[in-house]
Amino acid sequence: MADKNTTEIEEKLLVKRLQDPKTCRKAFEEVIGKYSESLYWQIRRMVQSHDDAADILQNVFMKAWSSIDQFRGAAKISTWLHKIAINESITHLDQQRKRQASAIDDPDSHLSDMIESDQHIDGDELAKKFRKAIAMLPEKQRLVFNMRYFDEMPYEQISNILGTSVGALKASYHLAAKKIQQYFEDLD
Amino acid sequence: MMQPKVNILERMSGTNAGMTVPDGFFDDFNRRMAASLPKQEWETEGMAAKAEPRSRWQKMRPYIYMAAMFMGIWCMMKMFDLMKTADHSDISSNPVLMSAIDNDAFYYDYCIPEISEGDIYDDLYDQGFDPGSMIASANK
Repeated sequence: MADKNTTEIEEKLLVKRLQDPKTCRKAFEEVIGKYSESLYWQIRRMVQSHDDAADILQNVFMKAWSSIDQFRGAAKISTWLHKIAINESITHLDQQRKRQASAIDDPDSHLSDMIESDQHIDGDELAKKFRKAIAMLPEKQRLVFNMRYFDEMPYEQISNILGTSVGALKASYHLAAKKIQQYFEDLD
Repeated sequence: MMQPKVNILERMSGTNAGMTVPDGFFDDFNRRMAASLPKQEWETEGMAAKAEPRSRWQKMRPYIYMAAMFMGIWCMMKMFDLMKTADHSDISSNPVLMSAIDNDAFYYDYCIPEISEGDIYDDLYDQGFDPGSMIASANK
């Protein structure tokens, strides 16, 4: 409880510093340090490629910085940044789909290709299959699954980011988990 | 013999599903990202002001101009007031002159000697004085 209060106070102070032109830059540099890792993983799980994830992450911070004067602190900083990250990731995937001819038959097959060609992996074959199973999920289910399973994000926060009810998110997550389990059972 | 089923969700929990990042990626990224943030409009304005610091005279100039303007207005008002109250055509309004005229000693000492003999004669002629009649009465 005390930790939660401390975090809330820290967040409020950070928002105040972001809104003050004198301290804004320094505060934003702190934001980068604080959220770059979690945002990177969220993006990486969506787009699979490390290079693409790094580029998108840079765009996310650039967009956030360019609209910093519009950030009033009504939402949490993390929620605001995750929203930008999701939009940027979806835009990137859409553009990638359009570029690839295979998109006509199987819109998400390029993700499997990305997983196969990814250089930044630890060589765990089971993990690679797990990523492929996730990549087969519909986009929204994949988002919900990633945020809940990997980031252990509360449903309320996911709801704020995606604008979907908590009930629908729970259903979406369980459906995604079931599909992944089924994928592995089919492999056996 | 059948292999036990792997619960993939339990197995992969707490991992990044085999994905890695280059060593020191986040530190490097944070540093590069912070350095590449473009200057905001308000920062550019702030820098311009910082580049040309204002001198003491520049800081005080508007106040001095304003004070000079008020002084000028006050002087004008004072002048109009003096012009309005001082009526130089009427010596009765000047107490110094009036007291001097009322003082007989002052008047005879300073005012009378100023009058020339010619002025007295002119005055007498104006009043109908005839010097011929005066000579005739003396000869009698």
